Amino acid sequence: MTESIIVSEHLVKHYDKKRAIDDLSLTIKKGHVTAILGSNGAGKSTFFRMITGIVRPDSGTLSVLGENAGWHTNAKIAYLPDRARWYNNYTAEQSFDLAARLLLGFDKSEAIRFAELMRLPLDLKVDGMSKGQEARLMLILCIARNVPLVVLDEPFSGIDAASRERIMEALIDAISEKEQTLLISTHEIHEAEGLFDDVIFFQNGHVLLSGEAEELRRKYGSIDTLSRKLSD
Amino acid sequence: MDERRIGSLRFTIDFSQPLYEQILSQMRSLIAKGEIDVGEKIPSVREMAHELKINPNTVMHAYQELERDGLTEKRRGQGTFVTNSVTQIRHFKERLALDYTREFLLNMRNLGFRPDEIEAYLEKLTHGKGGL
Repeated sequence: MTESIIVSEHLVKHYDKKRAIDDLSLTIKKGHVTAILGSNGAGKSTFFRMITGIVRPDSGTLSVLGENAGWHTNAKIAYLPDRARWYNNYTAEQSFDLAARLLLGFDKSEAIRFAELMRLPLDLKVDGMSKGQEARLMLILCIARNVPLVVLDEPFSGIDAASRERIMEALIDAISEKEQTLLISTHEIHEAEGLFDDVIFFQNGHVLLSGEAEELRRKYGSIDTLSRKLSD
Repeated sequence: MDERRIGSLRFTIDFSQPLYEQILSQMRSLIAKGEIDVGEKIPSVREMAHELKINPNTVMHAYQELERDGLTEKRRGQGTFVTNSVTQIRHFKERLALDYTREFLLNMRNLGFRPDEIEAYLEKLTHGKGGL
């Protein structure tokens, strides 16, 4: 039996009258790459914010790394928010120095290695970065950390094909070198689905379908096709 | 279907089928057909994962199965190599050939065909019009 790293039971979260998360129960396995998929507004980002302790549930329980999700678990999670931004006047390398002071488990030499792999110039200021370059920087700030849980909300969105490829390669290296649990949401399913161990489809704030990626392929075909069928 | 090349090797990844079996069967056939030579190094797990854009653990599981097949061996710090033993590879091919043939015969018998009829079908498909 694989250990669980996140267990959610009957989670509910309202924003005004809208139920963003509606009776959400699921488990995420330790050491696996789990994709959280679903259309916009399905509750993926809200769920990620709950995991990191930024948003508190109205009811239900959410255990992360064996504790109730909150500020004390947040430090052990590398979180890439949707539409992440960084300080404009920092170069990539200065950003790594800052991260080494602020972020638990941040490894600067590893960050530099990822920057080389992803061809991100170290002396380039965020100001002068393209959208894709800034996205690569944000990703490095997450994956160059030795923490048990990495949560990536749409790491490929609005990024050029070359950057997406570089990001995939960096993620593959991160998976093979560390025993991290990776949680990832994306609309670029065809490009990323080879990475997934497990897949959870969200709809209207709860789980529509979940399973091991290989098992889902056996039953329904590619995750990409399945996702399109489910959103029809 | 996505076709990818790693050095001189060609792989086809079809995301509508389980990936583990695809890696395993394509590697097995590359070795069985001699496209990767006896004693030759096979691509590293990292190389495969990068080029095929798949989870390195999936590649690793397939590689472990190749080792159990007796087709490859790991050398400390150097990577994974096709076995030096031609006999080993021949044994593997024979084993697989027997498995495939057994499955074929069972299927045909379950449809009620007699040995001479089965032979006729084989003949038709190997030498007849529209054969393989």
